[in-house]
Amino acid sequence: MNRSFDTQLQAVLRALTDVVGPALAGSEKHVVEQLHLAIATLSFVKTRLPDARAFHRMELRAYIAMCERAAGIAHEALPGDADALTALARQGETVLADPEADLAAYETADRALRDSLTALSNRVVGTPCQPGLERLILDEGDAILRQCRQWCTPFGFELKPEDLPPPAW
Amino acid sequence: MSGEYAVIREEDRLRPSEAVIAAVRARYPTEAEIDAVLSRKMQRRHGPGYTGVTLERLVEGTRALIENRLGHPIVIENARWLSGGASKLQMVFELGRDGPDSGARETLVLRMEPAASVTESSRSREFEVLAAVQGVIPAPTPYWVDAEAAFLPYPGMVYGFMTGSAKPSYDAGKVSGLGQNYGPDLRARLAPHFVGLLAKLHTMEVPPLPAFAHFERPQVGSNASIIRQVNAIRRVWEEDRVEEEPILEIVYRWLIANAPPLDRVSIIHGDYRSGNFLFDEALGRITAWLDWEGATLGDRHQDLTYATMPTFQHYDDDGVTALASGMMPAADLFAAYEEASGLKVDPLRLRYFNIYNRYLVTVLTLAASARASMVRGTHQDVLVNFVVGVGYIALSDLRDHFVEATA
Repeated sequence: MNRSFDTQLQAVLRALTDVVGPALAGSEKHVVEQLHLAIATLSFVKTRLPDARAFHRMELRAYIAMCERAAGIAHEALPGDADALTALARQGETVLADPEADLAAYETADRALRDSLTALSNRVVGTPCQPGLERLILDEGDAILRQCRQWCTPFGFELKPEDLPPPAW
Repeated sequence: MSGEYAVIREEDRLRPSEAVIAAVRARYPTEAEIDAVLSRKMQRRHGPGYTGVTLERLVEGTRALIENRLGHPIVIENARWLSGGASKLQMVFELGRDGPDSGARETLVLRMEPAASVTESSRSREFEVLAAVQGVIPAPTPYWVDAEAAFLPYPGMVYGFMTGSAKPSYDAGKVSGLGQNYGPDLRARLAPHFVGLLAKLHTMEVPPLPAFAHFERPQVGSNASIIRQVNAIRRVWEEDRVEEEPILEIVYRWLIANAPPLDRVSIIHGDYRSGNFLFDEALGRITAWLDWEGATLGDRHQDLTYATMPTFQHYDDDGVTALASGMMPAADLFAAYEEASGLKVDPLRLRYFNIYNRYLVTVLTLAASARASMVRGTHQDVLVNFVVGVGYIALSDLRDHFVEATA
């Protein structure tokens, strides 16, 4: 069998582009539109599949770092919550160090950190550490967001993709 | 604040219990009709995803609806799909009101929800606002609504077919509305009409009941209605997100804490931008405003900032001047609006609604669109899923704007 996902996807894309598309000429507009979107989505998968593991690891690393800093900021006001967030960050590091970890494991660890960080940002409302924690989320979130935008560039929505920072995965 | 932050488990989003739905409703109180629409969305998640609806089924349901309302047999002919939009199913058809023996036919459109939508909305509200703006704004005439899906597979309404183009003939292949360039000649003729109709909409009197029966009437001097609107968006984020974005909670808190009191109650279109109107290219006139499903009673600055969002702009030939909704620079648009409406454009309210609309678009793309395609809820999951690709651009734009505006 041909084990390369890239080749498998390439064969499907060729069939859709070279055979199915022309055969639909004159079909209802929404049918042709859905074919074009299906081709574009498969092209995105083909482009990004080889880097998926690296991207998820990068994103998890970034959230671990942000949560460790967040725990440091919140520790004085909410030591229990800060310690719990630090413990979650440690679990994330364990997942990163596990050679058997798959994409789902990265996603689970990443989501746990996002949820807990957001919960912490709500609990610190009204405490002296609120401004510092919000600043951290807005500043460090910016770098993560720009990498997410870089990841999504194959969709073609970026007006100036060249202005984005290069991939960090 | 309307309540403590609490994480809803992912399995609750996929199959929410009545207790979970009740908890979300209590935490993020909003207008009764919006509450009902969002609750129905969650309850549907216990059922199957969207299953394809044939034209025959739609014709059958539409005929049953109209015959129920008119009380006599009618004829439906030449039914076909109407493309356009990421949210609703549309079928265009010829109606013979007086039955098969009469030759008279009128062209109508059935607009129906799928099982899940990018924008969950009320057909009753859409019907009512369309009825209210007749004679003021060119818009489809609403005829019949099936708000509870008594006849159709999902809630829907029938309205008049409007003629016109969504895109200029030279640019017909472009995705409608996103950075639409009308070109200098057409732009010069459309732009005054674009602004003038917005001014007309915002200055028309909100008619008394029974009009707008499914809307809560905001009070001048109060910010309660704005807070209800923000809560509705926050509730969608709670119900639909596929992963948390900590920035959004900071923005939500700010929107609640800084909601401005209304200085006037206007009818708000909610999606007033390039791509959401039809026009006559030869005459250079707008022939119909479409997509009223997000309409509300509220603050005019909501529409003004929406029309000037970067997503809907493009640059003039000089490569420097951004044209809001492909019409004119935002500052010129605000000045023209003030002149046409006699209403003030308030910089502080512009600041607020610039953040509000970015928050809305982020939630609709990163949460509602992602969830709708995940639950196989629409007739065009591939399109709805593709739209999620805009989400990080929207969130990044929100973050940048929020940091700058609140510095």
